Amino acid sequence: MADWGAAAGGAGDLNNTEESLLLDRLNRIELNSAGYFVVHMNLSGLRPNNKHSHFVEIAARTFDIIVDNNDATLFSMANKDLALLCRNLDVDDVDNAVEKVRALFSEDPLTELDDSGFEDNFSTWYDLSNPEDFAAFFAVVTDLAVEAEHRLAEEADRQDKEQQKGQPLEPENLSEINKKIQSMRVADMIKRQACLQVSPGGGGELVFFELFIGMTEIKERVAPDINLFASPWLFQYLTETLDRRLLAVLVEEDFDEVTEPLSINLNISTVLSREFQNLHRAVNGNMSKVVVEFQIIDIFADMKSYTYARDSLQERGYRVVVDGLNPLSLQYFEPADLKSDFIKISWGPEFTGDEEESRLAEIKEVVDKAGKETMILARVDSEKAVKWGLNIGISRFQGFFIDKLVQVIGCGRGTAKPKPAAAKAAGGA
Amino acid sequence: MADSGDGQKRLPSQENLLLDYVRRLEKHKAGRKVVILHLSALRPFNRRDQHIRAAASNFDQLISDMTGQLFTLKNADIYFIFKSEALPEVETLVQKIKFLFDDDPLVAEEDKQTQSFASWYDADDDFPAILNLVQSVAQSEQERQTAVRARMDARAALKAKQQQGEPLTPEVLARVETALVRADLSNLVRRQFVCEVDSKLVPTQSFSKLFVSIQDLRETLQLGVNLVANRWLFQHLTETLDRRMLSMLTKTDGISISGEISFNINVATILSKEFQIFDDNIAASRRGQMIIELQKEDIFSNLSSFIFAREFVQDKGYRVCLDGMTLDTVTMIKRDRLGVDMTKLVWSPDLVDGGEEVHKLLKSMVKHEGEEKFILIRCDNREAIDFGKSVGINRFQGRFVENLIAEDGRRRGLLRLKRRIERN
Repeated sequence: MADWGAAAGGAGDLNNTEESLLLDRLNRIELNSAGYFVVHMNLSGLRPNNKHSHFVEIAARTFDIIVDNNDATLFSMANKDLALLCRNLDVDDVDNAVEKVRALFSEDPLTELDDSGFEDNFSTWYDLSNPEDFAAFFAVVTDLAVEAEHRLAEEADRQDKEQQKGQPLEPENLSEINKKIQSMRVADMIKRQACLQVSPGGGGELVFFELFIGMTEIKERVAPDINLFASPWLFQYLTETLDRRLLAVLVEEDFDEVTEPLSINLNISTVLSREFQNLHRAVNGNMSKVVVEFQIIDIFADMKSYTYARDSLQERGYRVVVDGLNPLSLQYFEPADLKSDFIKISWGPEFTGDEEESRLAEIKEVVDKAGKETMILARVDSEKAVKWGLNIGISRFQGFFIDKLVQVIGCGRGTAKPKPAAAKAAGGA
Repeated sequence: MADSGDGQKRLPSQENLLLDYVRRLEKHKAGRKVVILHLSALRPFNRRDQHIRAAASNFDQLISDMTGQLFTLKNADIYFIFKSEALPEVETLVQKIKFLFDDDPLVAEEDKQTQSFASWYDADDDFPAILNLVQSVAQSEQERQTAVRARMDARAALKAKQQQGEPLTPEVLARVETALVRADLSNLVRRQFVCEVDSKLVPTQSFSKLFVSIQDLRETLQLGVNLVANRWLFQHLTETLDRRMLSMLTKTDGISISGEISFNINVATILSKEFQIFDDNIAASRRGQMIIELQKEDIFSNLSSFIFAREFVQDKGYRVCLDGMTLDTVTMIKRDRLGVDMTKLVWSPDLVDGGEEVHKLLKSMVKHEGEEKFILIRCDNREAIDFGKSVGINRFQGRFVENLIAEDGRRRGLLRLKRRIERN
């Protein structure tokens, strides 16, 4: 498994997939299967954000020592599953390695054992000298081989898409993109998304509209062939420019006329800059209508500046949101200590809504501690997400699903016509 | 939420409190006197925090029986406003404090000084002068704070540019990163020791931290730019530095870099091929002697990557250290949950100023988690060591520790010399 290319599995010619190689091996040992056994690790069952190829590659390397020193082979399936085929190996040695892999994914529900320790979704052992086990595993691999063929086709498709995502953002191309953003018109790319407080009766009340520059539009116009999100740091650098462009549009607003509070995501450095002072002048006393959102990585990178920016905003009457969290990160620090007005957590595909009771209870406790009334669940794309949120005590929501809801219940009157500059910009949101 | 923390929001400065007090004093100024101790005029080594605290503590009794009110300013000057009947008592106290500093030119050569050690005022007669003085003190503190805080303002930016060069731009970053691939960084690697320090200030080395000196890097590559001016571009640069550090550690493993070592690295680097190559090429036993230091912003930029990476390196035998914690963050971040092996807490006088509550908190934290898990870093004076020890921390890093090591080396050298002389 020292070869990284092989570990990736997947792309390759159809007869040469790991699955078909494994089937070949099984066919050859069928008549003389004494001493053979297999551990099948079901990594395909991991949450999407744990299934990254580089995670699986590192996991596969856990078996390097076993494979190098014994009669054992590791097969990396196209769906990310691993199968370790062993002959006459000490079960404990193999089990040790399997447990190490389990530990790598300890945050994933897949690796949790139930109380009886009987059900294990993570790994399955087959004694190949036992004809029943052999048949069962053979059937599993046959299915995987079929699946792998489909996957190969999908993979090719995906690679095309990857190509569309483009070259990664690098210092070399960053400068040019940054300059383009500095000089382009952004007013027509400003979008808005409602944050809604959902009441138990089903009604909703607008908390604010978040205004932001649509990244899809930016990418289309300035960098169609570049993946702007390849490096979190370089993307963050671009947002400093986007901040200034957004503020330049907002200072044209007549804040006396703004009826619904609006929210903007800014870098802390932007809030301490002259551009923000200009906005403050334009806000003209209407600070209660403006909410400022900060990203957690920006906050953690310089707590002193955050504390200062937050205090000076709150003292003047602005409200502050801590953004960039998810239900997982909520368990790793005390968000209430940041003393913001709101804490925004993002719903993601990794939260299926069927979390283990204990996990859910823990998240619930954190939410309680941080203050339910401060929580906003964002990126809400389904009713399931809203239910999940309500279940743990969250009542404020934002996301595609909420946008649809806002249209239906017509909350915030101005759904179709936000105020002047941003309104024109939103282009009939 | 917004109001829950009001109590802790930016505390009014002593300067502002003093101004406020003097304004209110106007109505009750009869029968009051003011003494100012000009400790700001002492030599720097005589006006460390512990000296000022010792001086101020002399007034404790008078404060607790409501005879007077004390203000200790940022510049170390002490203002004491008191009832006139206590004058003899206060004069004795001031004399006593003066003796504390009798080796300082301010006291020793008093006749040659333009500034006296103490100035006395009568609140009734001299009120306008006192108010004036206090106002200007409050204003200059205000200005100082604005200067500190308005780091983004044009003046500060200009100053930074003059001192450190033009801010880093993407173009220059690209050039620097290309240059780094070829540059030999081994002579830019610095090491600083983490030491246990005993009560006689004798250090015992525990492990050493390796890092690339950014200042030297700037000079070696002959860049007229400020590499740290933009946080995000700099963070990207550190990923390149990580890879260079790893390849350097692979090459020189066991030769020049001996003993237990630690180094900073990004989570993304741990998951990269370069780390795999590094890991493949060092002796298995060496992993147990290596400590990987991570930053919180990096950890929280992708928490699930961190959890995976931490598990991966710990299983291989490396230890993981959470670097750069401050008082705010050390309590906010659930370090036990993050599963790190140790924590580096940045020394700052704020830790002392936080008062009894903060000291208790840190003490119980260190006791609960184990003193071996904490290191106080950026210790640049003795106060840092004293404070660390007072809360149970036993390992230190920083300029002061480097000085102690040098001093210890000299002492041992002398001792050897002495023994040799005795033998002869």
